[in-house]
Amino acid sequence: MTISLLQYMLIPLFSALLIPFVARRRGKLAEIFANVTLLAGLINIGWTLLSPAVLASGFSVLAEDGFSLLMVLTIYLVGLCVSFFSASYGQGRGVNTAYFYPLLLVSVAAMCGVVTSTDFFTLYIFVEVLAVASFALITSDDGREGVEGAIKYYLLTFPASAAIMLGLAVMLLSAGTFSFDSIRIIVYSGASAPALVFSLSLLLLGFLVKSGVVPFHVWTPDAYQGAYAPVSAFLAGIVTKISGVYAVVRIAMFLRLFETGAFRLSEVLMFLGMVSIAVGAIAAMKQDDLKRMLAFSSVSQIGYIVLAAGLATPLAFIGAVFHLFNHATFKTVLFLNSASLEKAAGTRDMTRLGGMEHPMPWTSWTSVIAMLSTAGIPPLSGFWSKLIIIIALWDAGAVTYAVLALLFSALTLAYFLIMQRRIFFGKKSPAAETASEVSPALLAPAVLMSAVIVAAGLLFPYFFSYLAETIASRMVL
Amino acid sequence: MNLLSIPVLLPLAAGLLILAISDRTRWLRELLAIGVTAVCFLAALNALAPALLGQHYQLTLPWLGGGMDFSLKADQLSAFLLLAVSFFSLLVSFYAFSFPDKGKAKWFYFNVLLTQSFAAGAALADSLLALLFFWEGLLVFLYTFIALSRDTAGSRATAMKAFLINGVTDLCLLLGIGLTAYLAGTMSMSEISAEKLTLNGWGGLAYVLLLIGALSKAGAIPFHTWIPDAAVDSSAPFMAYVPAAIDKLLGIYFLARISIYLFQLNGAMQLVLMTIGALTIIIAVMMAFVQQDYKRLLSYHAVSQTGYMILGIGTLNPIGIAGGLFHMINHASYKSCLFMTAGAVERQAGTGDLGKLGGLFRAMPVTAVCFVIAAAAISGIAPFNGFFSKELIYKGTLETGWLSFFIAAEVGSLLTLASFLKLGHSVFFDKRPDELKDVSEAPFSMLLPMLVLAAVCVVFGFGAAIPAAYLIGPALDNLSLFPEHALSGFHFDNLYLVSVIVILGAVMNHVYGYSAARGKASKSSDHIHYAPVLGWLYALAEKRFFDPYEQLMKRVPDFSALLYKADRFFDWLTDGLPVAAAGRLNDLSRRFHSGSYPAYMLLMGLAMTLFVLFTANSGGIK
Repeated sequence: MTISLLQYMLIPLFSALLIPFVARRRGKLAEIFANVTLLAGLINIGWTLLSPAVLASGFSVLAEDGFSLLMVLTIYLVGLCVSFFSASYGQGRGVNTAYFYPLLLVSVAAMCGVVTSTDFFTLYIFVEVLAVASFALITSDDGREGVEGAIKYYLLTFPASAAIMLGLAVMLLSAGTFSFDSIRIIVYSGASAPALVFSLSLLLLGFLVKSGVVPFHVWTPDAYQGAYAPVSAFLAGIVTKISGVYAVVRIAMFLRLFETGAFRLSEVLMFLGMVSIAVGAIAAMKQDDLKRMLAFSSVSQIGYIVLAAGLATPLAFIGAVFHLFNHATFKTVLFLNSASLEKAAGTRDMTRLGGMEHPMPWTSWTSVIAMLSTAGIPPLSGFWSKLIIIIALWDAGAVTYAVLALLFSALTLAYFLIMQRRIFFGKKSPAAETASEVSPALLAPAVLMSAVIVAAGLLFPYFFSYLAETIASRMVL
Repeated sequence: MNLLSIPVLLPLAAGLLILAISDRTRWLRELLAIGVTAVCFLAALNALAPALLGQHYQLTLPWLGGGMDFSLKADQLSAFLLLAVSFFSLLVSFYAFSFPDKGKAKWFYFNVLLTQSFAAGAALADSLLALLFFWEGLLVFLYTFIALSRDTAGSRATAMKAFLINGVTDLCLLLGIGLTAYLAGTMSMSEISAEKLTLNGWGGLAYVLLLIGALSKAGAIPFHTWIPDAAVDSSAPFMAYVPAAIDKLLGIYFLARISIYLFQLNGAMQLVLMTIGALTIIIAVMMAFVQQDYKRLLSYHAVSQTGYMILGIGTLNPIGIAGGLFHMINHASYKSCLFMTAGAVERQAGTGDLGKLGGLFRAMPVTAVCFVIAAAAISGIAPFNGFFSKELIYKGTLETGWLSFFIAAEVGSLLTLASFLKLGHSVFFDKRPDELKDVSEAPFSMLLPMLVLAAVCVVFGFGAAIPAAYLIGPALDNLSLFPEHALSGFHFDNLYLVSVIVILGAVMNHVYGYSAARGKASKSSDHIHYAPVLGWLYALAEKRFFDPYEQLMKRVPDFSALLYKADRFFDWLTDGLPVAAAGRLNDLSRRFHSGSYPAYMLLMGLAMTLFVLFTANSGGIK
């Protein structure tokens, strides 16, 4: 962990500690405190990544681990959107701001810890911190569903922790270290290390469960559906990605270094990714509850990332990381919009919605941008990441996977179009008669994220050169 | 400016100009068209003269590249054809001057001029690609010509019929040309002729495809069915111009080109050609014999006479080919003349129904005389031109040794004469009905072309040496054929005796039919029309049972229904099936994602166990 990245973890943590004392009686102050902290962090990391000097140099002056940097940016972006959204959303729902915002900031701090740690043990510690904060966040509002979701989340992911701990134990016994660099050196030395591979497979299993890949996905729909609305966006957009998928990608980077022995594990990874894509997409088609549908869509999109990670070519990693970033942007928009809908129309049951475009044009059109990006329509950002993944698959000779990924991308578009028609287009439902657009404060995060989606799509060459420069050429090769 | 560009470009420009001329001007369009066709005729004469001396006008322009040049060449055969095309264009332009029922004058002359332009191009083309270009252009103007000649549903349907039949056969031509060019390695006909293709393998297919294109243009069976329909649904000038003259000229010209010039045919293909010729003669003349409409009767004869030309060229010996080419130009002259008389009678008497006409000789003496000359010529009565060309064809047929084709041709001759006896008798002789008392002679502008054509019939008959020396002989030279016999001259040999017998037979048939019909000339074919078996066949033919186009069109709805069903099936395959499958999988997944904690836990445990077992086995703690 380098000093410069440590600040992104420590500052939210201090802020979280401060809020319960300073803002116990004044809720507004807690909101301001949290938002300012996250905004400052976002501007800071944004400047680090996108200052003219950095852009002009083609990102070669960045000394940091590029994957981590991008993830920190994503964490702050989603964190800011969610906290800003919650500020206007939470009134009258029994949300205690003095607990909510500190938990949010602790989550952000923990996620930054996850992505900046350089050994598996530290990583695991932060993942557990994140999990604890998340359990609590899910139950933020006064609904019963949240409790059910939290319990399911807890009980169904604890085997993951067991597997990870087992894996860590085997790793310590066989390699004597947790550090990424040391393990890399051991692998490079060419010594046959079956026990090390086994330990990595156990770690992989644990993180696969945490990322909700089929068949370990069963907790995700219930947890996302039951959670307090802004927390759903937080969970789906960033938390499960950092606590699970990030580590899966990291481990996949090691797997490709083994000469033999680990390729079967890579194949398993690809297979599970494909199954996730398929099951998630098919299950999403006929859901009536919007958030449940989005949850299955998440499962499907994570499948793409895992599929690419399993392929483990430099191009595939670029696709995987870019898709990870894109997924955070579009899924946050969709979940935030589902929260807006719930607030405006009083329901997220798609059978009772319809024609919502008339009262809520902004919500509708940010949804359109996000869902087209998810489905991979050019020139939005999701198109590029899927394209890279499919090209990588094709280049590596995994033609069947490439074709299937493409076909299920069409299915993605299908279920999102069904969603858009059932909710926003078509005849006005009774709910649409009485509903009205939510306040600008609630729209702002979705609009910001939509702008990011469009910008990332249009400025794709910059993104690509960043990813190629910092990830493909420095970390993978 | 090359001379050859005049007959192609001048009518094209004039045709487009005619569309721009105001409707309020009188005679301007007509005069322009006549002037342009006259100039083209002179140009054609100028092109023919050096060709006879072995000097060919040529025009070669780079076109599509890759050896595909746009090349025109006026060798003897092409120059002959160009002269014929220009000649008939001039006469028809003149004839249509005061012909009322030809559609809008603007469109009529537009179609005449563009047809002329493209026909001249097709006749002159030396590159097969240029030929195809002009040939397909003719197809377009065939459609517009018929469709714009009358404003009725019938004419539009017939135009579509003509378009579809010729469109399909032109497609065969296109494939044939592609194949020929591929086999020969060049598009130029004169280059191919230096090393003729044979009918082995792909060459056979290429020839058959080209043959279909040529026969369809000439209007041979079974591609003829639009011609009798056009006779009813279109105007006399159109019939006199396109099916009677231009189409026959080009079709037979191209047939001679491919059969003699480009390919080396064998005995089997000779038999095929002669069979098609004989069948065309007999079937079409049988149909012509019983017709009750002036133009429709003539149109069947136009088909029947094509049979003679195909038979002549199919003999593959110089004398038969000379007969075929001679018959081509003769037929064009007398058949155009006959259609012009039909137009004149229709204009003056107001009908073309044989049952309602009669005794017009007194009222229209010039028309009647022209009719008699042309009818005698088509029936092969000496000494008109038809006699000489038919005699050459008979000789050629006998030389091949196939007597049956000779007999078929003679039977055709007999029935031709019989049907013209019936036609002439019922229109110009017999009793004149009361309604036709005030009928007068047609105007001069219509009489002149008829007279010119009748004169051609006479001159090419008595003076058959003229066309033999200047048109047919050089054309044969061009095809490198050198006949052993003289091409002209009158012989009192056995063939002449046969023709006398044929004439007597036809007259006897007519006398018998006339008396059997109790003095009604138009019914004098009824003894054959309603004979047993034949009557049944005729009834079927009248119902268009033998018309491949109509039969196919009748199948179209069924076929469409089948395609519709196939389409629905594919729709179901792409839309219905995936949706149903996705729906089924969906229900399955919904039932599974019940929220039941124990089920989830079980799955999780099972999956984790499998994962560990699998990876442990491969990653290897063993």
